[in-house]
Amino acid sequence: MKRLFIALSCFVAFLSGEVLLAGPVDFVKDVRPIFQAHCYDCHSEEAQKSGLRLDVKSAALTGGDNHGPDIVPGKPSESPLIQFLLTGNEDERMPPKGPRLSADEIEILTDWVREGAVWPDGVDLVELEDTSDHWSFKPIEVAEGKHSIDSFIEASLHKNGLSLSPEADKVTLLRRLSFDLIGLPPTPEELEAFLADESPEAYDGVVERLLDSPRYGERWAQHWLDVVRYADTHGFEVNTERKNAWPYRDYVIEAFNANTPWDQFIREQIAGDAMGKAEATGFLVTAAALLPGQIGKDEESMRLARQDELGEMVINTGEAFLGLSIGCARCHDHKFDPISARDYYTMQAFFAGVRYGDRSVVDPVVDTRAADLNKRLRPLDEELDRYLLKVGGGTLRASLSARANIERFAPVRATGLRFTVHSTISENRHQPYVDELEVYNGKGENIARRSKAISTTGKPEGAIDGVYGNESAWKSNLKGGGVIELAFRKPETIQRILWGRDRTGKYADRLAETYTFEIKTESGEWRKVADDSDRAPFDRRKAKKGLFQLADISKEDHSRALEVIAERTPLARELEGYAESRQMVFAAKSGSPETMYLLNRGDPEQPTDVVAPASLSFLNPVELPRESPDLERRKALAAWITDPENPLTPRVVVNRIWQWHFGTGLVATANDFGNLGALPSHPGLLDWLAAEFVRSGWSVKDLHRLIVSSKAYRQRHELHAEGLAKDADNRLLWSFPSRRIEAEAIRDSILAVSNQLDPAMFGRGFDLFHARGGTGGFKPIESHQKEEGRRRMIYAYKVRMEREAVFGAFDCPDGGQSAPRRSQSTTPIQALNLFNSQFTIDLASDFSTRVRQEAGDKAENQIQRAWELCFGRSPEADELLDAGYVVREHGLETLSRVIFNSNEFLFLP
Amino acid sequence: MNHAENISLHGRHLLGRRSFLSSSATALSSIALSSLLGGDSLLGSSLKSGRPEIDPKNPFAPRKSHHRPRAKNVVVIFCAGAVSQLETWDYKPELIKQDGKPLAGGPPVTFQGPSGNLARPQYPFRQRGQTGKWVSDMIPHLAELTDDFAFVHSLTSETNTHGPGENFLSTGFVQDGFPSMGAWLSYALGSENQDLPAFVSLLDPRGIPQASINNWGPGFLPAEFQGTLFNAQNPIRHLSPPKSVTGNSDQAARDLLQRMNARHLEHNPLDGSLAARIASYELAARMQLSVPEISDLSTEPDHILKLYGADDESNPTKAGFAKNCILARRLLEKGTRFVQLFNGAYASGGRLNWDGHSKLKEQYDVHAEILDQPAAALIKDLKQRGLLEDTLVVWCTEFGRMPMFQKGAQGRDHNPDGFTCWMTGAGVKPGVSHGVTDELGRKAIEDVHPLYDFNATILHLLGLDHERLTFFHNGIERRLTNVEGHVIHDILS
Repeated sequence: MKRLFIALSCFVAFLSGEVLLAGPVDFVKDVRPIFQAHCYDCHSEEAQKSGLRLDVKSAALTGGDNHGPDIVPGKPSESPLIQFLLTGNEDERMPPKGPRLSADEIEILTDWVREGAVWPDGVDLVELEDTSDHWSFKPIEVAEGKHSIDSFIEASLHKNGLSLSPEADKVTLLRRLSFDLIGLPPTPEELEAFLADESPEAYDGVVERLLDSPRYGERWAQHWLDVVRYADTHGFEVNTERKNAWPYRDYVIEAFNANTPWDQFIREQIAGDAMGKAEATGFLVTAAALLPGQIGKDEESMRLARQDELGEMVINTGEAFLGLSIGCARCHDHKFDPISARDYYTMQAFFAGVRYGDRSVVDPVVDTRAADLNKRLRPLDEELDRYLLKVGGGTLRASLSARANIERFAPVRATGLRFTVHSTISENRHQPYVDELEVYNGKGENIARRSKAISTTGKPEGAIDGVYGNESAWKSNLKGGGVIELAFRKPETIQRILWGRDRTGKYADRLAETYTFEIKTESGEWRKVADDSDRAPFDRRKAKKGLFQLADISKEDHSRALEVIAERTPLARELEGYAESRQMVFAAKSGSPETMYLLNRGDPEQPTDVVAPASLSFLNPVELPRESPDLERRKALAAWITDPENPLTPRVVVNRIWQWHFGTGLVATANDFGNLGALPSHPGLLDWLAAEFVRSGWSVKDLHRLIVSSKAYRQRHELHAEGLAKDADNRLLWSFPSRRIEAEAIRDSILAVSNQLDPAMFGRGFDLFHARGGTGGFKPIESHQKEEGRRRMIYAYKVRMEREAVFGAFDCPDGGQSAPRRSQSTTPIQALNLFNSQFTIDLASDFSTRVRQEAGDKAENQIQRAWELCFGRSPEADELLDAGYVVREHGLETLSRVIFNSNEFLFLP
Repeated sequence: MNHAENISLHGRHLLGRRSFLSSSATALSSIALSSLLGGDSLLGSSLKSGRPEIDPKNPFAPRKSHHRPRAKNVVVIFCAGAVSQLETWDYKPELIKQDGKPLAGGPPVTFQGPSGNLARPQYPFRQRGQTGKWVSDMIPHLAELTDDFAFVHSLTSETNTHGPGENFLSTGFVQDGFPSMGAWLSYALGSENQDLPAFVSLLDPRGIPQASINNWGPGFLPAEFQGTLFNAQNPIRHLSPPKSVTGNSDQAARDLLQRMNARHLEHNPLDGSLAARIASYELAARMQLSVPEISDLSTEPDHILKLYGADDESNPTKAGFAKNCILARRLLEKGTRFVQLFNGAYASGGRLNWDGHSKLKEQYDVHAEILDQPAAALIKDLKQRGLLEDTLVVWCTEFGRMPMFQKGAQGRDHNPDGFTCWMTGAGVKPGVSHGVTDELGRKAIEDVHPLYDFNATILHLLGLDHERLTFFHNGIERRLTNVEGHVIHDILS
């Protein structure tokens, strides 16, 4: 695969033979014709195999990807150019196809190199493209004068003999605004109010209402999550749950709702952990990632996996904020943009201290406080341990608590611990849950936190994650039993176990009733250290209490123990409070930066120069010293991206916002503003919008206001032959570009018109599948009768690569690669899903129930109400006739099913 | 109206764009609107794009290939879990000699952990047919057919992990999110049959393969080009309404929807996307008839069921896979462009797929029984019906396995450095073995071909130039073969 250059010493003798030509070799007369005949097919403007081109002096003398310069003046034997002609290895020999060079031709080239490879300036027939001489890399420029969106749009329409369509009617406008800004249709009441309001401010009033609605952030966050390929699973074959991804999703929703200035939004996503917004850095780690178990145990595999992780951060940052495919330069200089492989690695160096993983979102202040509390608790606990009642000491121990139970035993050396639940309260009707399992050594340290947990009956991590509460418990999947095993990192002397079912005290069900604790000795045997046999029978009334139980100790010790308990209780309470409130987020885990190298051909096994963090060299780069700490690096990168002088950042974002309103951006390739990207349809407009955007303080909502108040936005959707003939793609906007609403908007709208949309915001995603991860496949939940399944689809647990079973087919991105713009495909599978799924049938029934409640039993009234709810208008006479027949013969549910499938319901008007 | 596959090409081609820019005063002076209006024609002459033109109203219409195709349809027998080349097609007598010895200079640690000693092939090999090809007794039925196969013994993968490996085999990229080969083909060529999906993925009865949907997903291609999932055990999801919906009301709903959409279209008769949605319901209705019909194997005669082993009551998994093989033949008969036939499911310690880390022989005995007779019968059946004339049959797996056993185990670890896949049928030279691994089967050493080359060859046989079949996404003209790929001409007839 890699054509590695192999120097063969046997050429040298041949090369030192006689000179056949009389005068010096002339490049134009003698050399170039040979290149033209044999080399230019693969090494000129059209193609540059192995990164080599021989038609431009500067490029030819620099050489290709795989080795140093191909031409070493004066030294033919060291010049790959010559060696490739002579090698005996057929796989290496050039040219690979077509006639070989004659002996004479080889001589000419050899002599030319020996004579110094004289390549006169100014003789080249083509010039090297200056890839940095590109519109999007130049400063934003706004011409003098007064501008508006419409002045730009109308100017280009007029130039092409076209014009805007007339303003759309109020029903259409309200439906358009509502779908566009909040992703839901307007209610009949909202429509009525808008129609009744004849003031000139009516339209703006609606815009403000919609922008203020919390539903706005839920709609627009989805657009951004598409770009960053957000998902709640890790991807690849195991596709395990990424349990704490959702705080990032919620952060994005909140940021849109709060109209967080876009430059701040960028800074928070790159370096939010320096700004009290650690969850925002979920952005850096949204990509699919291999888990440790999926990465080979050999060093090479591990280095490659790390490079892949880093690569995804560079790719995401480049595409999302700058509209540049920096990732293309991982193996070689970018072919079309001024991004070198060195740029790629210096960019990568900004992320050298970032690792993928869960981190707490709480303030560093709280973290410091927690560490301090732990430190103060340790000696108290160490002392208290002496006074506690031990297991099997002949005294009946307290009945079990759902909150916390202590197992105190004589110190014992162990390499692991096994907790076996034999039965649960309530006659084994439930699977046992454990939160949290803590194991203390003699120094009062909870060593469970740094152990490896295994369980054959459900994921064990929740038991030892230091986070309290039902959500983060170990949940056995076996009714009435389960096993959890801890492997300590090193042998430990342990003496106390603390465990409960819910340390926050909210839940008292699912409690283990009979159980055994065993330790693993250093010789590998299991030995029992505690069980329930000496406990008082379970007493439901005491189930939420948790008490220290003192041994039969001296009076002195007894009062000392009470003192210790009194001293430790407030400290422990405070600490537990932190553990309970602590939300983890899958985000950037900051550490000390690794040394970064420029890798030859992107191969982690071929490091070359050490590189320091530096941004793209063609765009006023910022450079940092090699020893800069992680946060300094990321803060510097964020500052560079959000510098108002950076021409890409504002252009890229205003183009995205425009695209999400109109379906296509002014630049059709929203993630690519480089040389391969599309040119802007309205360059002046793009720059004016970018300038306005920065002037407004990077306010996204101001940009919405600007766009939706334009005539271009408020015009009718009206396709005509003249427009189609001149501008088939409607890029000039002679008609409003109507289009099918997205998967989420379809599902949410069906729920909304049926009065079934659960407005609960935020939190862990609800399930669309019976599994949250794993290899066995994702069986869809067919029927979403529970409220949770009737939340907005942005709150669905997003399984990477697995599209939702009904709506996913409507071009939902799969979280694999960035989706800057959704395709708009139309497929029979979509039709089958929307027509035949249980979801549609269920909701048709719910919708019918609502309509009956509001319109009574008469078919005409029902149809009237259904039309108002779904189309925002009254039915026409023939529609009433058609629909009336179906309602009477086949029921209102049949009509409802049809409405959900109708084009009028599904299109942004 | 703006279909993604039609994202305009304006200014994308460097040459055309540059000549345009040089003629304008400043880069940001008013961009000539004609370039936005002219569509491809502006740049057409200088473009060598092989991008298909897709009619949004009829995205599955048959489309022209780049050059004359040798094959019209493909069936890919996809063996998930990495089948050992050493137990099947790549005969290594030296490995028998060195059984139990350490591999000198071999890797001390491979994917799963420490290496053990070299281990002989776990099945006897013997020579087959006219070519005398050495093939193991593990797959006696397939072995009988090797005179017709073209083997590539020197394939390499870019990863030693299953998920990325299957991604690489199916999409040309180790990452998630790229279009699968079947999606590329239905995007390029459309379908000969407007009543059936162009691309069908038949899952193994044991479950889904490891990279799951990546193997048949559309990636960033429009969703219509993804594989449709069904098999002899499970029909297409949502093919018919829930039981609560009566036949009469279903028909009434269909009729009313048609009338409502037609009436709505009158307001904007030139809107192709509205018309396309109407057409999609019509195709869905045709599929509701054609798919149950094609999945109904009761019309197959007994001798065919017997040939495939679909009647094997003692081995329901084998019978299930055999039925999928029959279904594959029926789909190919009807002109389905790309049929993906999975053998093997997800990660399961080698129990449900070919991932033989610990008890290779024991597990391969089971897997081979399921694969061998049905797959061989499919090829025989296609041949006897004349379908091999224009059907390409591909047998593949994501990578191979090590010549050593893993330390303390009776199985082999992942080996992406030299493994075997083969093809037969339309356009394939019969009875060739191309490429060589070293004498122990550790690494490919002659005619080394990354999987890009294998995929480029498949596209070539279907009349497609892998360098010209592209889709513009996030700044790049994406291809199935990334920036690599050479057609393996030595295995073409």
